[in-house]
Amino acid sequence: MASSHSDAARMEQIITEFFAKSLHIILETRSPYMSSRNFSGEQTVSSPSSSSSSSSSVRPRDKWFNLALRECPEALENLDLWRQSNLEPMVVDVILVKRSLDWDPINFSPKPELPKNLSSKEAYLNCWNSDQEELGTEGQCEKIIERWVVQYEVRKTKGGGKGGKRSSSNLLSLLYKKSMLLLRSLYVTVRLLPAYKIFRDLNLTGQIRSYSLAHRVSSFAEPFTRREEAEMQRFSFGPVDTSCGRLCLSVMYRSSLSDVSSEGFTPMSPQFIPDYVGSPLADPLKRFPSVPMSHGSPSLPFSRRHSWSFDQYRASPPISISPSPTYSEPYAPTSNPCRFPPPSLPPHPPETSNRRKDNASFDEYCPSPTFSPSPSPSPPIYIPGSHISKVLLRSESAPVNIPTKKLQTSSLKNPNLPPSPPLKGTRGGTPRADKTMVPTQLNATVEKMLVGKDDSKRYTGVKISISRSSSRSFHEDFDESELTCPFDVDDDDIIDHGTRPESFDQKGCLREPLEPGGLMPMRKSQGAAVGALVDLLKKAPPLSQEYSHSTIPSQIHSDEAYKTGTDDPDLISKSQTVQVCTSSVTSSGILVSKTTADALEELGTYREMKNLLLSQGGRPQMLTGYASAVESMGKGTK
Amino acid sequence: MNCEVCQLKELEVEHYEIREVLRCILHTIIFHRALGLVRPKEIDLELFEITYVQCGDVDVEKKIDEKIEQFICWVEKHPNKKSQICLSFFEVKNKQASWFTNKIERLYWEQWYINLNVAQQPKVHSSKSYSSKVVDPGENAHEERSVRRATLEASLRDVLFQIIRFVNDKKEHVPPIPNREGVISFPYEITIPSSSDSAFGMDMIKRMLQTGHPTMLS
Repeated sequence: MASSHSDAARMEQIITEFFAKSLHIILETRSPYMSSRNFSGEQTVSSPSSSSSSSSSVRPRDKWFNLALRECPEALENLDLWRQSNLEPMVVDVILVKRSLDWDPINFSPKPELPKNLSSKEAYLNCWNSDQEELGTEGQCEKIIERWVVQYEVRKTKGGGKGGKRSSSNLLSLLYKKSMLLLRSLYVTVRLLPAYKIFRDLNLTGQIRSYSLAHRVSSFAEPFTRREEAEMQRFSFGPVDTSCGRLCLSVMYRSSLSDVSSEGFTPMSPQFIPDYVGSPLADPLKRFPSVPMSHGSPSLPFSRRHSWSFDQYRASPPISISPSPTYSEPYAPTSNPCRFPPPSLPPHPPETSNRRKDNASFDEYCPSPTFSPSPSPSPPIYIPGSHISKVLLRSESAPVNIPTKKLQTSSLKNPNLPPSPPLKGTRGGTPRADKTMVPTQLNATVEKMLVGKDDSKRYTGVKISISRSSSRSFHEDFDESELTCPFDVDDDDIIDHGTRPESFDQKGCLREPLEPGGLMPMRKSQGAAVGALVDLLKKAPPLSQEYSHSTIPSQIHSDEAYKTGTDDPDLISKSQTVQVCTSSVTSSGILVSKTTADALEELGTYREMKNLLLSQGGRPQMLTGYASAVESMGKGTK
Repeated sequence: MNCEVCQLKELEVEHYEIREVLRCILHTIIFHRALGLVRPKEIDLELFEITYVQCGDVDVEKKIDEKIEQFICWVEKHPNKKSQICLSFFEVKNKQASWFTNKIERLYWEQWYINLNVAQQPKVHSSKSYSSKVVDPGENAHEERSVRRATLEASLRDVLFQIIRFVNDKKEHVPPIPNREGVISFPYEITIPSSSDSAFGMDMIKRMLQTGHPTMLS
């Protein structure tokens, strides 16, 4: 009968579109880069009634199941393959791809090749998408974190489907209605599963990470091993019965991705930095002890925290930083090395980590105008399941690359946060973007400085940023290779910069509010002072005629040229930073008026000091001498 | 047609968490019942790492916010009581109007009861838990707060999955989708049944009289 044929055809169409829609819903939130191309923000067009007739035109596909979704080209291209047959199940594997050399081989294993028993059709249907493939297989591991299975089970005994026309159309209506309910549940569920956090992190931050999400759509999937199954949970949606069978949708997912998504962070027990020495700029008269400073420097009311967050990272894996919820701009990492003025930061050793409550003051006094003071203090806090923590934990050792850093200026403090959004840092929404906000702000801060405004406030902000990185690099046991250019962006640096934001938050923020045009307090962090000096030098009129972006490359080139003039670029950068440190001791007004000649003079002096530093291998005693030398230089500049 | 009732798992919330928790739950339920053409809207909670979905209708959002404010006022007036907020879906049946009555009958086909146990605060805007009772919250209070927050987040997730399971398990009772414009397919109402037994009982009787069904309200 024609009607039955048409009903059967309609049912077939509903089932086909159901497959398509479910794939679209899944990939929309599991395929980061493809979705981001069409991602119009966290929230889609709000008014559906207007969407049907307004500028946001309703595509024909949107009308299916009354669920208008964002574009997802990958879903569409995979979709066409499935139009061939509704009888084959559709298996969507969401795979976490990690690239690192520090992975635990026990937990991760290289993904085996595609099953060789796949037919050519299946192989064709097995669409592989990986953002990391081009990075090679070195240290690349994959782990299936979700497996979605959509299938239409045909009932062997077909019964009840041969009713009258009315009942058949009623059945179709019922099928369509139930499919709509199921797809709405799917839409909500994909956003509640753990993999969604990873998707948001990848999608909105834009930062290069060592992990990525990939997906694979196939009609066949290797069953999980027992071990894998034990680690996964299963959720089955209620099936939708049809006259001939039923539509089934289920998912197996990893309930905990904390270990999976950790960015190669190797947890370490808390430890003191045995040879930590504070910055001489912060307290030139202070003698830096050769013993570890455990609980804050007695001479400083606000202990330096340059390495504190770093130590926190090293100390406990779950440390995470909640980005300030006020940050909203995603930051796009740049690979342009030395974007900023003399980037070399003095190798000031950060103080030993101090998990003091008074860390709170840091965030509140974060000097950069673009930073919004965090309402709560800033010891790193553990945010369970926080992906930011994992991201940050991975990067800990390279010199600072401020542009790529994700500075977390919201409280790192533990859970005594006020009802303000403290724990949102890891999420992909605004808070997720917050993670990348700090580097952006730093950039903005530096750029503002370069624009030539003699705004000490901005200048200070830049100083702070630089100081953070400087203290950071110094903390890393004077690793000279990392001191070449804190703003150098290498692959390693990018990866390793995760902890820097913490150090920024913890220590980089001056412990006191930076008054516009005011002097940098002596108690300010060494790194901050060093950074300030660097910036001051940069701002010296002869050094840069116009404070604009165009001058940055020239400055960079000059720096690099200068570097090439010596055997050890690290020495140059150190000397530059030392100069900056010296300058910061004096008033900012004086620093601004420094001439190139003065700067070069100081540079030469600091080169010598740098040589001394290097020769002594960064011992605290050396730093003591360094501090006094800086002090003398500062006095000399005056 | 029977009326399906879902009693959601009770959540222990603090005063400042009520808005977010209720928005999340109410919008999630309504999204499942907004079977008109929808452009979903994802909202990230500020207090929890949860993203929920709104149907995107501005009127719905407004109505929900109004009801939440009413609920908060009610909670302030009735402290130390377990509170409920009820989201009901109904069909409108026009009773045959006679010259002395023109009642529109509502046939409730689904009711969701959101159960909250609001921790009482010394002040409305206080950020301290009443149980802390310390002027200067120390480490322990902070840790307790974080534990409580994490527990609430897990419970909220459980509630959302409870909603999803209920929606998936029970589909037969959902009426046919009326042919109407807009997102909302079925009329709904949000009420605050009193937590006291007598008032709740009266409310049940009232509903039974309205619907005319031996409604099973547990």
